[in-house]
Amino acid sequence: MSFLADMQISLIVLCSGLGLILIGLWGILTQRNIIRMIVGFSLLDTGIHMVMVSIGYVTGGTAPIINDAVPMAEATSRIVDPVPSALVLTAIVIGLGVTAVMLSYAVRIYRARKTLMIDECTESKW
Amino acid sequence: MVDKLVTEVLLHPLGIYVLALAAGFLVPLFDRAHRGSAILVFLAALAGMVAIAAINLLAILNGAAPIEIETAGIAPPFSINLRFGLYEGGFVLAVNGIALLGALHWLPSLRQHASALLLYLIMVMGINGMVMTRDLFNLFIFIEITSIATYALIGMERTGSVLAAGFKYIVATSVASAFFLLGTIFLYYLTGTLNIDGMVAQRELISGPVGFIATLFILTSLLIELKPYPANGWGLDVYETAPGGIAALISVGVSAGVFFALFKTLPLLDDYLLSIAVVGGATFLVSNLIGLKQDNAKRLLGYSSIGQMGLLTLALAATAQLDVEAQLPLIVGGLFINHLLAKAGLFWLADLVNRKSIGDWSVLAGRPLLLLVFGILLAALVGLPPFPGFWAKWLLVMEMASGGLYGWIAVILLGSLLEAAYLFRWFTQALQARKTDAPDSISPGKLAPVALTTLLLFAAGYGMAVQLETDTLAMFLPLFAGAALWLLDSLPGRLKSLLMLVMVAAGGAWLTLDLEGLNRIFGYILVGGGVLVSLATQYRGDARKGFYPLLAILLLSLATLLRAHTSLAFFFSWELMTLSSYLLITLGRNGVKPSLTYLLFSLAAAYCILAGFALAYAATGSIELAALGGAGDTTGLVFSLLAAGFVIKTGALGMHIWVPGAYGEADDDFSALLSAVVSKAAIFGLLLVAAQLGVRSDIGLDPAYVLGWIGMLTATFGALMAVFQEDVKRLLAYSSMGQLGYIVTGIALMSHLGWVAALYMTVNHFLFKGILFLAIAGVIVRTNERLMYKMGGLIKNMPFTFVATMIAIIAMSGVPPLTGFGGKWLLFNAIMEKGWYWLAALAFFSSAVAFLYMFRLLQTVFLGQRKLEHAQLREAPVILLVPQFVLIGIIMVFSAYPKLLLDPLSTAISPWLGGNLVWDGLALQTHLGYWNAPMIMGVVAGVWMVPLIFLLLMTLTLKIQKVEQFNIVFAAERPHRPEETHFAYNFFAHYDRALGFLVKPRATAFWNSTVEWSHSLAASLRIFYNGNGQTYALHIVIYLVALYVVNGGLQL
Amino acid sequence: MIKRIVIFLVLVMLAAIFLNLAANYSEKTSLSPLAHYYAEQGPAELGAANLVTAVVVTYRGLDTLGEVTVLFISAAGVGLLLRRTRRKADDEDLEKGDRAEETAGVHKPASEIVETATQLLLPMVILFGIYVFLNGHLSPGGGFQGGAIIASGTMFLLLALPESHISRLMVAMTESLSGFSYVVIGVLGVILAGGFLDNRIMGLGTYGSLFSAGAIPLIYVFVGLKVGFELSAVLDRFRKEDTGPL
Repeated sequence: MSFLADMQISLIVLCSGLGLILIGLWGILTQRNIIRMIVGFSLLDTGIHMVMVSIGYVTGGTAPIINDAVPMAEATSRIVDPVPSALVLTAIVIGLGVTAVMLSYAVRIYRARKTLMIDECTESKW
Repeated sequence: MVDKLVTEVLLHPLGIYVLALAAGFLVPLFDRAHRGSAILVFLAALAGMVAIAAINLLAILNGAAPIEIETAGIAPPFSINLRFGLYEGGFVLAVNGIALLGALHWLPSLRQHASALLLYLIMVMGINGMVMTRDLFNLFIFIEITSIATYALIGMERTGSVLAAGFKYIVATSVASAFFLLGTIFLYYLTGTLNIDGMVAQRELISGPVGFIATLFILTSLLIELKPYPANGWGLDVYETAPGGIAALISVGVSAGVFFALFKTLPLLDDYLLSIAVVGGATFLVSNLIGLKQDNAKRLLGYSSIGQMGLLTLALAATAQLDVEAQLPLIVGGLFINHLLAKAGLFWLADLVNRKSIGDWSVLAGRPLLLLVFGILLAALVGLPPFPGFWAKWLLVMEMASGGLYGWIAVILLGSLLEAAYLFRWFTQALQARKTDAPDSISPGKLAPVALTTLLLFAAGYGMAVQLETDTLAMFLPLFAGAALWLLDSLPGRLKSLLMLVMVAAGGAWLTLDLEGLNRIFGYILVGGGVLVSLATQYRGDARKGFYPLLAILLLSLATLLRAHTSLAFFFSWELMTLSSYLLITLGRNGVKPSLTYLLFSLAAAYCILAGFALAYAATGSIELAALGGAGDTTGLVFSLLAAGFVIKTGALGMHIWVPGAYGEADDDFSALLSAVVSKAAIFGLLLVAAQLGVRSDIGLDPAYVLGWIGMLTATFGALMAVFQEDVKRLLAYSSMGQLGYIVTGIALMSHLGWVAALYMTVNHFLFKGILFLAIAGVIVRTNERLMYKMGGLIKNMPFTFVATMIAIIAMSGVPPLTGFGGKWLLFNAIMEKGWYWLAALAFFSSAVAFLYMFRLLQTVFLGQRKLEHAQLREAPVILLVPQFVLIGIIMVFSAYPKLLLDPLSTAISPWLGGNLVWDGLALQTHLGYWNAPMIMGVVAGVWMVPLIFLLLMTLTLKIQKVEQFNIVFAAERPHRPEETHFAYNFFAHYDRALGFLVKPRATAFWNSTVEWSHSLAASLRIFYNGNGQTYALHIVIYLVALYVVNGGLQL
Repeated sequence: MIKRIVIFLVLVMLAAIFLNLAANYSEKTSLSPLAHYYAEQGPAELGAANLVTAVVVTYRGLDTLGEVTVLFISAAGVGLLLRRTRRKADDEDLEKGDRAEETAGVHKPASEIVETATQLLLPMVILFGIYVFLNGHLSPGGGFQGGAIIASGTMFLLLALPESHISRLMVAMTESLSGFSYVVIGVLGVILAGGFLDNRIMGLGTYGSLFSAGAIPLIYVFVGLKVGFELSAVLDRFRKEDTGPL
């Protein structure tokens, strides 16, 4: 496992995130059950969030909070980029919102059609 | 403090967000207190958003600087900023305006749930944000706000199919926005900023594999949100199943926001312009092709929406590539506003009509207001004048031509034609009432938002015309006249007819009296002749809803056509003429189906003309008609395209299949106008083109020779087909086609004599065909028959009509002494002079054939035995006879003194083709001989007078035994179809055996198979839409991979 | 099966694109100019110790307002989708019907351990949530995090006592008023300070203390309340839907 040790930390997170995105997409594309598709979507979302966080990492940086641990004078050299962290917070909330709506769709689809299989919802076509 | 609140928040573009959010957050509370108050807050907020956008846009139009909205009290790029400039303002105002109208339309459903109200409000705000924000991540948030609100509103009705469609939509757009987020974060990684302007300023940092992939993600995401073919099944399903209120907002609002996002990120995506253009163009073409096979009204609108967004995308990429920033507001703005208003209106109308299948839209039949609104929206969508889409498409095509993007022009024109085909097929369905229809009543209040969109379309179209500095008032005069008459449409028919005549005469005189030369001559035929023939409309006393306004538009647009100095004005009037004549044909008894064929061929012709004008503009840089000649190398092509367009409108062989239906099935008096008057507009166009292009350059010669053959073959086959018609109007229709063929040949000769012949025959055709169609109108109004074998012996009842017909027939055929002789004589002289001997031979042959069908008309309708049931018929109405006899008078004058006609014609063409007619006294000299008309007239009169007097004496003195008419009917076996034994049935059966093979409906078969072929192509192109949400999601990922590969991702 | 292979191949291609991305990625060794500005100016300019909070609430305040909006509309959307099918037009009857059905109940009661633990833990969970959003400008956390913690308390409650009633009126009042207040604070930024959502409408206070960083704590209070109640409402709607009539 020495090559892992050689990898930059953020690259590991980045690659895991990208991997998670692929897994999520696999779920969306192959799982016929709508709930499972939503799980796939959550994985995809999480993967993206990991990618975002990894992008903000600065070698050797710490949390961007200016207090006793990180004095104001050293801030610029010791912290990681706060912007991706802020963005990821927003992205998480948005992902949550979308997931909630998706789940209520799932509930309603099951009510209306008595099935959760996406390939049984194909009456509109051509 | 208060004024700061007013100027910097409430009247400021920022107020849009404040208003929407404050109202959105509070709506649930108001709802708990009182439902009505929540609705009021909701509407007030929307109205406020419209007002803020309008006030600020107006300020910018008056020269104020674009408004930069900074947040957090800190300058960008450290904080998020938004911009409200000209483009943003236009989009925001349009979207908010349509959202307000949409809210009014959808209020009955929206008001059921407070959450629906707030979702709608915030969705609109989200679109505003997508347009205004200058921050890439903030853009993502606004996209998501809009999306989530959309998801919820789609599912509001909670039926199984809409939920399924909505879920597919969610999956697809979620994957697309995931791509957007990925792209955004990597762009931040590269540039260290999220500000779009900041990224553009550091464009060089976005390079290498990471830059390539990051921009690719952004591009794919935005393109997917615009629903490109074939990764758009999810969008179509929602358009099909969702309520019109939300479908309209997705189609025009959400798409507008995404489109604007693409527009503002375009500087980052400039490596992909070709990909963007290809995606847009392919989407436009293919969606419109697939639309042909669609029967579900809302899904059809979906295809149209997707196609329109494709066109906008293509236009955006093209203008960016051509670097014509100055034209951007008119091209993209025009296309956008056109799509916005027309599509929203149609989606709402689909809600009101509430019929899924376009076949069931027959419930609209017989409801003039609804049909008017429906027709206007469709016409706007197709890009017909005077709507914004017309001007925008014109500009786009011109600019593309200057930039050499000829392939794209072909794509746009073909796509537009396909779109016209399915949209007007739908209109056709709506015009035909069916017995099973049980129309719902639609209150005027419900129709108001839809009707308002049509008014806005007119206003926007007028505004664009003013912007383009056209002779707007004159060009729009036909429409104003039409509108005025439409408002008076409840008056009695004859009064309306009178008003129309006065209006057209006055307007036409104002428009055409200052014209000179060729245009003046055509002014007499088109306007003067138009009014004269239209006098006949007085013979019908019924209300004829819609007829008179349309006729006024048609006749006045002929006048504006003659006035046109620029190809733009010409094309405007041309299209207006096409549209109004199409609608007039639909009013005929069985006119609806043939009218569609007429429209499609007319539009195809119009697009040929447009392409020709565009190429000329590319070569000369001018849209002046007078500058057409300077097209240089492309002259031959320009000439061919323009000539092709005009020749299709004359019904040239192969393109003639619209002729019998249009002329045959239109109202009888309108058939006369179409054939005698309106068809001359095409001749005018052809002459104009020949004058500007054919004569001035030498390259025009080869196409001219081809044109000569086309004309003569049309003349021959038109005559042949006329011979075998049973239906008298169809006979006349084919006759028109043939006669126009001669004229085309005359023009193609490109000689002084040839043109004199062509013009002379043009005048002549106007005279005699006017008489013939009106005479037949008189016969039809009395007998109620159109099949010739069901008539006969009408000379006894309708002697005046008979005389008029006979004179017209003589004037048509090339026998002395009437005008027809002169025309043929001039034509033969000109052809021989040119040395086109084969054509001369064909001309002789077709003249003989023409005589056959005319003989049949006279013989079977007026002579022979009269039907018993026709014994009591009276002469045709006097008002029908008046124009006929005026025309006869003109024929007589010109027959006796052709110099009166020939000299002005000769002078009119002298600017282009020099040459004189040589007169020896009253005789016209050519190198083949001379023509002394007065003398011929005298001789013929003398020759005929003798037997006539003899005959008269015989009748008076001899006793003639009269035989009872059908007294042999029961003498033998009774035939199954008695009419088959009538002598007039299959009158020329013997010629049929000899020549029938020539008139097999090959052209019809060809066009039918073209239609079938495009339908099966459409069927195979839509296999991607299998209805499975996962397949749709897969399409999106494939799209990304494909864009990666074609843009060279594998080389990185 | 063919479809699976196609999907697999497409994802392999996508993986290749990702690989290309990762191969050309190198970790940053210094802050971007934007981040540099925030690190340097943030504490002085806005008075927030937690730079992420400074970015979230002020520098990118519009994003956050959007984020609050997203949550608000998804809660509204869930409510719209999962609303009871109306039998009677009258709202009043519906409310009564709701309660009647709730008391009738179809849920199995939770075990005693869960119930007891909930009664013990719930106040603490909520208190912790409040702590997190009140200290958002000083330490990791903030309105969203705090709100989420509060909502997890609700989740707890619903698991332990499925019959418990969450007042819709209270939820609606809180989410509407806190959202509205957030907008009002934003507008006050225009009037009293530099621009929309400027947090410097109040004194920045002593750096590092609870009452500092201008309006940030105030905004986070509203956000925390709003998020907490909205997420609770979403959970509640999913629960109610289950018992609702078809």
